[in-house]
Amino acid sequence: MFNKNYKDTLFKIFISIFGIIFVTFIVLTICAVMGKGLPSLMESIMDKEIQFAIRLTLYTSTMSTIICLIFSVPISYGLARYNFWGKKIINSIIQMPNSIPPIASGIALLLLFSTKQMENIVSKLGVDPVFSVKGIILAHFFINTPYMIRILRITFEDINPKLEFVARTLGYSSWGTFFKVTLPLARNGLISGIIITWTNALGEFGTALMLAGAIRMKTETLPASIFLNLSGGNLDKALAAAIILIAMSIICLFIFEYLGKENIRNTK
Amino acid sequence: MLKVEHINKKLGEFKLKDITFQVKEGEYFVILGPTGTGKTIILETIAGIYSPDSGSIYINNINISKVPPECRNIGFVYQDYLLFPHLSVRENIVFGLKAKKINRYSMEQILHEISTMLNIEHLLNRNTLTLSGGEQQRVAFARAIVTSPKILLLDEVSSALDPRTKEIFQHNLKSLHKKLKTTTIHITHDFNEALYLADRIAVMRNGEIHQIGTAKEIFNHPKSEFVANFIGYGKLKIGNEV
Repeated sequence: MFNKNYKDTLFKIFISIFGIIFVTFIVLTICAVMGKGLPSLMESIMDKEIQFAIRLTLYTSTMSTIICLIFSVPISYGLARYNFWGKKIINSIIQMPNSIPPIASGIALLLLFSTKQMENIVSKLGVDPVFSVKGIILAHFFINTPYMIRILRITFEDINPKLEFVARTLGYSSWGTFFKVTLPLARNGLISGIIITWTNALGEFGTALMLAGAIRMKTETLPASIFLNLSGGNLDKALAAAIILIAMSIICLFIFEYLGKENIRNTK
Repeated sequence: MLKVEHINKKLGEFKLKDITFQVKEGEYFVILGPTGTGKTIILETIAGIYSPDSGSIYINNINISKVPPECRNIGFVYQDYLLFPHLSVRENIVFGLKAKKINRYSMEQILHEISTMLNIEHLLNRNTLTLSGGEQQRVAFARAIVTSPKILLLDEVSSALDPRTKEIFQHNLKSLHKKLKTTTIHITHDFNEALYLADRIAVMRNGEIHQIGTAKEIFNHPKSEFVANFIGYGKLKIGNEV
């Protein structure tokens, strides 16, 4: 009995060591930014460039998340519910942006939209993404849609298809069933998908840098602001942008955790 | 009323083979067979959830094989009731009435009538997740019959009940059928339940119907060894009267 307890305790200590090391690493990293940046944070926030970067980050993250959602909902529902020829291949292609390094994705998008044919099409539509704000939104959309599709596919797969069958027998078409039954039941998954996608979009930099560039006061999001100000030796502004980004991400994390607990409570 | 003709349906490794039967208006028809024999697939094919690979389904001599489920006017109660968890009891019951765009006043009248009949008026404002098994069952029934379906399909609706509750439920089901006179197809693996409820029974095994008849006909003249064994005879000379 004594031996068993001793071994159990040793096992728990062994596991805890890894946890303690990693948690300490995270806390120290965040404290390093906060410690250096907090004293000049208020002054930096008043700066026009930082305010522009905050507004642009919020705008591009929100717009790209909305567009991700519009595409992800039907795609993930189709993958969850239907079997069709080539489904595995299509699913793999959809997940490709996740495995391609962001900077490589950015170069690929830049090359695509720099071709004469694409230039003509996007100019006529007024959505030229190269070195523009639209490029940031497109870059976020390209990188983040696979994440949202993965989350929503699991959400839709978790909904019993027989609930949809019952709705059909009660007089609802596939459209009516989707909006009256499937979407309401997918609410928590949708909210989680939106928060995760929005948080990812906040910090996405590599792909957007290649396609939209990091142009001061034009395509300058908070990550681009960190890059530009650090490169230019303006540490205070860079740290201010970093702190604001960290604060936004932490708030999103708490909202996500809170919604997760609400979901567990509601289903018990 | 309902004619099912030569239905074949392959789902994964399982196959329904040449399913043919008719159900008269107002009849209580039971499909009896062991678990995994394809009974639910027949009901889901009649409801329009699956399209048959071949064969036809007729309601009042109209071929409904290609008609979508929402246009067939068929009520369906699953074994696990499948109430919508995001809706209250009231909203679950009137769900089908809203699809038919019934006006609010008529909706409330119908709701009151059905909930009184099934003794669930006190549950209307409850969350479905807080209901007991018996309460969920009655709400599922209310939801299925509130739209006055032409045919009611019941998928092993009493299999989760304890013996005493099952007995009460079967008695209530019989009374409800007498009152509403809705054509009903009920699937079960319980011969005693079939015996009590059915006007006629179809005995199924491995995707095929072995015999159709009244309970007396099947009991007295089982057409195969499987039918005889299933209704509890053990070794018996097939076709002989008992």
